[in-house]
This record gives sequence, structure tokens and C-alpha cells, in this order.
Amino acid sequence: MAATTGTDAPASAPSGGPARRRGVPRGAAAPLLLLKRFITMREGSVTIVTIALAIYFSATIPVFFGVANFQTLLTYFAWLAIIAAGEVFLMINGEIDLSIGGVYLFAPLMFYEINGGGIPLVPSVILTLTICMAIGFVNGVITAVLGVNSFITTLGTLFTLEGLTLIISHAQQLIMPGSPGTNPTTGAQEVGTFAQVFGAGTYSELIWAAIIVVLLQVALTRTRWGLHTIAVGSNKIAAAEAGVKVRTVVIRNFMVCSTLAGLVGILEAVRSSTITPDPSAANSILLYAIASAVIGGTLLAGGSGTIIGAFIGALFLGILQDGLAIKGVNADYLDFYLGLAIIFAMLINVYIGRTRRRSGVG
Amino acid sequence: MSVHDDFGNEAIERLEWSDSKQDQSPQTKARAVTRRAALVGGAGALAAFMLSPAAQALAASGPGSIFGSQKKYHFVFVNHVTTNPFFTPTINGIQDACNLLGCSYQWTGSETSNVGQMVTAFNAAITAGADGIAVPLIDPTAFNAPTTKALGKGIPVLSYNADEPSNGRLAYIGQDLFVSGQQMGAHIKALVPSGNVALFIATPGSANIQPRIDGAKAALKGSATKFTVTATGAALPQELSTIQSFWQGHTSYKGLFAVDGGSTQSVFQTIQKYNLRGKGIKGGGYDLTPITQKLLAAGQGDFTIDQQPYLQGFIPTLELFLYHASDHLSGIADVDTGLKFLDKTTVKPYNNTKSRYEGTSTKAGVS
Repeated sequence: MAATTGTDAPASAPSGGPARRRGVPRGAAAPLLLLKRFITMREGSVTIVTIALAIYFSATIPVFFGVANFQTLLTYFAWLAIIAAGEVFLMINGEIDLSIGGVYLFAPLMFYEINGGGIPLVPSVILTLTICMAIGFVNGVITAVLGVNSFITTLGTLFTLEGLTLIISHAQQLIMPGSPGTNPTTGAQEVGTFAQVFGAGTYSELIWAAIIVVLLQVALTRTRWGLHTIAVGSNKIAAAEAGVKVRTVVIRNFMVCSTLAGLVGILEAVRSSTITPDPSAANSILLYAIASAVIGGTLLAGGSGTIIGAFIGALFLGILQDGLAIKGVNADYLDFYLGLAIIFAMLINVYIGRTRRRSGVG
Repeated sequence: MSVHDDFGNEAIERLEWSDSKQDQSPQTKARAVTRRAALVGGAGALAAFMLSPAAQALAASGPGSIFGSQKKYHFVFVNHVTTNPFFTPTINGIQDACNLLGCSYQWTGSETSNVGQMVTAFNAAITAGADGIAVPLIDPTAFNAPTTKALGKGIPVLSYNADEPSNGRLAYIGQDLFVSGQQMGAHIKALVPSGNVALFIATPGSANIQPRIDGAKAALKGSATKFTVTATGAALPQELSTIQSFWQGHTSYKGLFAVDGGSTQSVFQTIQKYNLRGKGIKGGGYDLTPITQKLLAAGQGDFTIDQQPYLQGFIPTLELFLYHASDHLSGIADVDTGLKFLDKTTVKPYNNTKSRYEGTSTKAGVS
């Protein structure tokens, strides 16, 4: 991202071809052209807004730019990036999954029940994620085969799962198995291996997020599955006529989305050591995930989107919440600032989007 | 005294009978029966008797023979946060009282402190001819008209958990949220006589926790203890992140306190994570989640508050039943369910037990 003084086509440009053909610009025009090329990338606008926000907070809060705060920042955005990535995949496909909030709530409870039935921790995780996949399968079948609009399907699944969680747990808060314990004499936290890997370790959520985001981005851009996903999202009928198995693609993507939501539910429950069957938590998670996806540059209409963008969108929301919390912003003002920031970020996205379409890129 | 003995045995029988009815598998059923047989001599035979139809007929006639009322009353409990875990023990209390007295109940209202939804539920209960209604009066005027209407139709109305004296309700059972906040404020002032403290609230404006923080603020106003109020969010992991961030930006603060269960747990977890006890930082809050209890017992905080939510369900049900059974002659009384400040030592029994009274078990008794 460093501006070079136009001696050669910048190495970090998205595609070196057109720049070379146009001839190499000299002097002050080069960094500007580089900037223009950068922001016309789908992820470019949200990256700039995020960096600007980070700079603002670093300047006004001394502790923001430090290791301790970075570790806390991870707890805001890493899990959100994972769940947003799954949602993006589905949104590119032209559908939406509102039940991710319900799966987020339901998965830790399922893990608790399965583990309580005598199955060890890691197999319990695998079984729980299989159940989440099954929920995604149901969502997919109702949407793709039975023809119900995905918004309605997943709205129904959301409420059903929330209610099921309350019924099974009797609305009780439970301690998450495998989560960090407390030494009764010293009072210090004891983090076992399972907890280290599945959410309580300092960088564990970040590593999960990085792996999943990279895998999904590769799947989206380099595999036939990703190609079909984009095709179905852009024009379902044309894709079907071209021979794409639309139903299979949709169902598969619903399964991916639900599985990731379940994984995030488990990671967060391990990190906080608690299973809380409270539906209001589920609904706020849902909104943040969709906000990350959309701020990151994925269109609600489908056919275009970016997983990396969801990661950066999650980072934007994470930095915003972290900065406001450190500043100790008054309780009543928090939602107000969050809302304004989201609108502002989207306005910039839309404006840049127009620039991108005019410049003929993307 | 023999009438009271029979009443006591009757109570145990009814509770055990409905508990064994809820068991899901032969193993748990056998285990429960075996445990009780070991505890109470001859209870095994008693349990076998209880499962027979004869016992059902006997139990069903219980309240009639004692209170002179055979009718199966239906009570409606309207609530402002119907899915909040704080009220799980309250629902247990209502269930136990209903099982005891041969009544049925409905738990309804709003999930999000929406007063409009609560008033609708209240009016629906009146139309359906409920035998009694209990509601937390979280709004100063919205419930006045429905209460008057219900009383006019001969339906007794009680308030629980939150009160508004200008409403026409017959009695209030609970501990006023604002008063509890004031008491917490006094506690905070004692722990941190001067300096800065943080007050955390999950969702500002939510009627079951906002009065607590208002009370704390009122108690601390004008004193040498300066406070900052911060919202932590609806999801518990998010609350944890928010409190950790806040601490990093305010390491000069002397105390972290919260008014809801999730934030309180997160305060204790933050104190543990950054070893704040070693720096003399004070911490405390409300309610008893399993982790809060553990961390308090391990010395990672100064206090938490138990508002006895079980009684806020059990006693109103009892009062509504007695009001009918005594033909309006008796039954109604204001009850202060009290406020318990628990510290490192007094919280230990909560850690060692699970029960319906604390919302940590669905089985009868304390185990």
C-alpha cells in the first residue's frame, strides 16, 4: 500500500495488465492512480474507512495501539468475521439466512447435552456441527426445493431454534463444558487444551477466522462451486439453463452458513464459559453479521460479494465497538454512534461503487 | 399439629409425583427413585404407590380437603422479560405452588420490556376470565386501567418484582428494583469511599435493570465516589469484551460494578483475567450465574445480590389461591422478598447445591 514514485507499475495493483498497456505514469499521478485502482477494488472502500477509524482511535486513545488492546479487539471481530463469511457466501448466492442467530444460540446447548450424555469434547463438537449442517440442509430444502423465500424460511427457523433452546434448557444458564475453569484456592483461571483451541486461547479465534476466510475466498474465486454460487446469485434461470445444479448449490451453501454459525456459537460459549439461552443475544448477533457482510461490499441482491470484505467489515465493527468501549462512551450513546457509523460506511461504499462502475473496473 | 404434618407430606408427595412424571428415561427415573429411597426410609414403596392412579386421585383432592376449595384455578403471570434467566426460579416457584394447590398458570407478556405487549397480554387474561393476574408494574400509568377493569370483574391483581403504589393492585410481592439499586450504591460507597468506579448495564432502558442502576446513581450522586455508566450489550460474550476494553482504557478506576447477571459475571471474569484483586480493585453486582458463584467463592469479587426470585413466583400464586379459597376474606399481604448481599463465604452453599429455588435444577429438593 506504500506509494511508490512512479518508476514502474506498482506491484500491489490488483491487475498489472491495463497499467502496463497504458504506459507508466510519472510523478504525482502514480500514487493517485494507485489509490484510485485500490479503492475501486470491492474491498477497497471498506478498508480505507476501517484504517481511518483505527487511526482516529489510535490518536485519541493512548492504549488503543497496543498488544493488550489488540488481543481484546480480537474478541470483538474474529468470531464475527467467521459468521459473516458464511453469511456472505449465501448472500452472493442470492439468498439470506436469518437463522444464524438461532444456530449460534442452539449449538452450545446441543454440545452441552451431547457431552453430558458421555461423549468426549472433540467428538461432541463434530456431532454438534453435524446437527448444524442438518439445520442448514433443512433451510436449503425448504428454500430451494419447496420454493419458500429464504427470508421467510430462515425467519421461521430462527424463532423455532430460539424457542427450542429455551425449552430444552428451561431458560437456565449453564456452564460450558471444556471451558476455562477457576482454581478454587488461587482464584486464577485454568485454561485446558480444548479451551485453548476452541475460543479461549488468545489468538485461537483469530486463527480460526483466518483459515476459514482464506478457504472460503479460495472456494469462491477458484473452484467450480464458487463459480456456480456467483452464477446462481446473478441470474438463477440462466444458470439453471446453463446446466448448473441450482438446488444443490443453494442447499450446500445453507449448510456451510449454518455450520459456521454453530462453530462460532461454540467458540464464544467456551470463551465466556457460559451457555446463555437468551434470544435477544441471538438477534443482535444476527444483525451484526449481516451488517459486516454488507459493509464489506456484498450486495443484498446477490451475485457479487467478497469474503475478505466481510472480514474487514467485521474488523470495522470490532474497532468501532472496542474504541467506544475504551473511551467509556455513555451507555445511552452507544447505539446512536454505531448506527451513524454503519450508515456512513455504507454511503462511502455506495459512492465508491458508482466510481468503480464508471471506471469500468469490476 | 397432625394437619400440618399431613400437609407437609402431601406437599412432598405432590412435588415428587410431578417430578417423576417429568423424567425422560428409565435410568433417570430409577436413579431418582433410588436416591429418595436411600434418603427417606420407605420412600421407595411410597414412590410406587404414588405412581398408581389411586395416588393421583388422592393428590387431586388434597387442596380441597384442606382449604375447602375444589376448583382448579388458572392464574396469569404477565412478565416484561419472559425469556430472561433471572425469572427461571420465579417460574419454578409458580409451578411448584400450582402443583401444590391444583392450579394452572400461564407465563406471558413481552420478551423485550415492551409495555404495549404486556398490556395486551393483561387484557387478554381479563377477557379469558383468568382467576388471578400478577404483573410487574414497570410503567407508572399503563397498567392502571387494566387493573381497575380486572378488579371490577372480580379478578384479583397483584404486582411482583416491580411496583407502582398508585396502581390499584391488591398487594406487592418483591423487592423494589430502585431500592435495591440504592442499597448497592451504599455498598459501593462503603467499598470505594473516593475515586472512580464503573457501572455496567447490559441494555439501557430495559425495565428490569434500568431502575437498579438509577438507584445506584441516586445513592452515589454528590459523594466522593464518581461513576461512569457504560452499556455492555445483550450477548454475554460481547459483555465480556466490552468490560475488558473498558478496563484497558480506565486502569485508574478503583471498582467495577454491574446491575445485570451477564455483566456481573463478566466483571468477575475481567477481574480474574487481569489479576485485579492484587491491585485492590473492587467488584460486585447482581444475580447468581453459575460462573459468578464460582468466581465469588474464589475471591474474584466482593459481592453479588440475590433477590430471591423463587419467592416472587411462589408467594403471589399462594396469595391468589387463598384469596379465592377464603372467599376474599384473606390471602392478600405485601411481602418484602428481601435483598441478600452474598460475599465470598455466604455464596459457598449456592456453589455446592443445585435446586429449583435458584433455577439451577429442574428436580425437586436441593441436591
